[in-house]
Amino acid sequence: MTMDRALDLYDIQGNICKGYGRFGFPKARYFFLEFHQYAGARAFLQQLIPLITTAEPWSEKDHPDQSDKPQATTNIGFTYAGLSALGLPRRSLDGFPLEFRMGMKNRAGILGDEGPSDPANWDPVWQGEPVHAWLSVNGQSRQAVVDRYRQIEQLLQQSQGSVTIRPGHKGPQGSLQPWQDASAVYENGRVTPKEHFGYVDGIGNPYFAGCGNDPSRLPGRGKLTRDDGWQPLATGEFILGHIDEAREYPIAPEPHLLALNGTFMVYRKLHENVTTFNRYVDRLATDFDGSRELLMAKFSGRWPDNGAPLVLAPDDAAKAELDQQLAQLTAKAAAGDHTAATELRALKAKWIDFTYNKDRHGSRCPIGAHIRRANTRAALETEKDAFNTPSALDDRRRLLRRGLPYGGEDETPADDTEQGIIFMCIGASLERQFEFVQQQWINYSNDFHLGNDRDVLIGANNGQLTDKHIIQVNPKQGKAPFFCTHLPRMVETRGGDYFFLPGITALRMIAQGIIDPT
Amino acid sequence: MSNVAGKAYGMNVMTPLRWWTAIWQKVIFWVVVKTFPYFLKGLLTLSLIHYARWTIINRWSFPRLDKSQPKEKLTYSYMLFESNFNGSWDQYIDSFSFAIPSGLDMFWRWNIKYPKSIPLHDFYHYIRFNQVECDHYYNAYPLASANDVKSAQALYADLAAFADSSEALSDDAFAAAWQQFLADNQHSLGSMGTSPLMSTSNQLVQEHHHDDLQLAARQTQQEEA
Ligand code: HEM
Repeated sequence: MTMDRALDLYDIQGNICKGYGRFGFPKARYFFLEFHQYAGARAFLQQLIPLITTAEPWSEKDHPDQSDKPQATTNIGFTYAGLSALGLPRRSLDGFPLEFRMGMKNRAGILGDEGPSDPANWDPVWQGEPVHAWLSVNGQSRQAVVDRYRQIEQLLQQSQGSVTIRPGHKGPQGSLQPWQDASAVYENGRVTPKEHFGYVDGIGNPYFAGCGNDPSRLPGRGKLTRDDGWQPLATGEFILGHIDEAREYPIAPEPHLLALNGTFMVYRKLHENVTTFNRYVDRLATDFDGSRELLMAKFSGRWPDNGAPLVLAPDDAAKAELDQQLAQLTAKAAAGDHTAATELRALKAKWIDFTYNKDRHGSRCPIGAHIRRANTRAALETEKDAFNTPSALDDRRRLLRRGLPYGGEDETPADDTEQGIIFMCIGASLERQFEFVQQQWINYSNDFHLGNDRDVLIGANNGQLTDKHIIQVNPKQGKAPFFCTHLPRMVETRGGDYFFLPGITALRMIAQGIIDPT
Repeated sequence: MSNVAGKAYGMNVMTPLRWWTAIWQKVIFWVVVKTFPYFLKGLLTLSLIHYARWTIINRWSFPRLDKSQPKEKLTYSYMLFESNFNGSWDQYIDSFSFAIPSGLDMFWRWNIKYPKSIPLHDFYHYIRFNQVECDHYYNAYPLASANDVKSAQALYADLAAFADSSEALSDDAFAAAWQQFLADNQHSLGSMGTSPLMSTSNQLVQEHHHDDLQLAARQTQQEEA
């Protein structure tokens, strides 16, 4: 059930098992297709298939001595409209889950996409009929991305109008682009793992059975056991055709081969109002008992500069101590001290291997902090041993995040420039995983006993007094909690949709027009 | 018809039992509640639940509205499950199935064709099939979840006590006491607001209701004119 059973990684698209950013691909381009004619579109797909990157192991990091990693990757996903346009039979189409068939725009009420995030305000590419397919190219360099893109562009030209790119992504200086470029944020010419508000991102991600990642990544990323250990999540939480945490196969279309090794992906362009964010932090920091960095950490749950979790270093003094320890160990390890290297590794493991068990009050990491909302790490089991397993209410709500920042390269980030995060996340059920987290945990707080409070960073806040975040304290210290009120809208949705990412076999069958659930 | 009112959802499920197992089940309920309260701990920790109640109705004891209503001859006895909770149907059933599967199985195990609470979708179908929809469902505090009510009650009691005890304090002592009061109540200070949408279907029902009200208002205006 939770055994690390081998998966057919050659049949699974690469972005499902690998966050490309972590493998040295800081650049990406996403673009969206329209199919105008079945046969031509299928012929295009057949030619594209050799370019699709699978989850096969690469020599870097996780799998020494295996096949070399490419300069650029390519992955593909389809909307419901896209699958219809490719001529899938009615019965197969009807087997897809409702939220996927409806598409993201029609789920606005659930997702909190209102006001500035209302679909009417999204980029032109999202207006009108839904796009049909998402194509993504990640590259080790911008040049590698552009080269691969040109290659695909040629295939599109050969399709003689059967497949076209839908343009209309807002870009720098008021431009409209045919694609969405994304890139890690650079500081002084060096890649950083930061997003545009200044936080280190991309640390927490689930570990599932068969994912092919190094087992040393399991602690802090799997599901919790009674003895404070970690186990891989069931494969079926992230990939269709495999058993999930409820010991059944996820809802999937027929025939079996259409779904097997495929999954669903959320694509969301999330604009970051950098000026609004900075002004808000500046204003609050003057009243806050602690540094500006600590205040920022109390929003997200991690220190902005190096991602250290607040449960590890809950205040400025503890952070200074941690940084010093880190610097010393790093220096020693670099000088060849093996003991120090081991200690350093053990210390870095604490960046991810933690729970909120010893922080019930939220005096270290606020209960409403972004990462404590988005992955509750057994904190909902407020009475010991109440549930089947400690993380029973979390294990089926985990999100495999695969996004990258965009913008900020050609202009200084402000509210009205184009920058943010291309948020992508993967899971076997859009409704049970992404939509639930977005609705119940990001934009609402009943599960946290915090009423209608919302996430500081990405909640649909509107600057009202009651749009607030509470920074809890240890009640024994006689100090009041700190109230962050009048939260403005820091992040706005600028577009997106739900995509089905088929396995390679299914992709071939779609391209050949032989999907037949008879 | 709607099972939804404000932040609350009302659920009734009637499931058949053989008449003799129904009697057994009564005994077992009684024993479990008395001797194994930890079975109920999970249920109580699921804070989205207002309450949940299982009642066994013997096949000969179904109520009649009036003596003139003919007695029915029923094949089965029934278990009536009633619950009020905050959040959507899926969230509720999911929470049950994820968090306390064995507790659920204990309550329902003798019911005809009960599939067990894992795998999830068989359990979904079982509940859906046997659910009796609410014709009317009233909620006095549509903006409040059970957690909101509990928080408000705790806060109200503490605030009243604070008002009494702080009257004679000096400014400094008051400031200190006030800070402590806020710290002690920091978990009861969530904002009040409307319910998140339970589903896109429910969104439609709400829109229809809104349309009906507008239509009625227009008609009244016309009549007055
Ligand atoms: C512009 C939008 C966003 C920003 C700036 C942002 C920022 C962050 C930061 C700084 C972290 C901590 C680093 C890490 O643990 O990887 C994080 C983690 C996370 N975020 Fe976001 N985020 C955004 C959107 C979202 C959305 C839309 C969701 C889901 C609905 C989400 C879910 C998560 C999850 C699941 C984690 C990992 C938590 C853990 O495993 O402990 N984020 N985010």
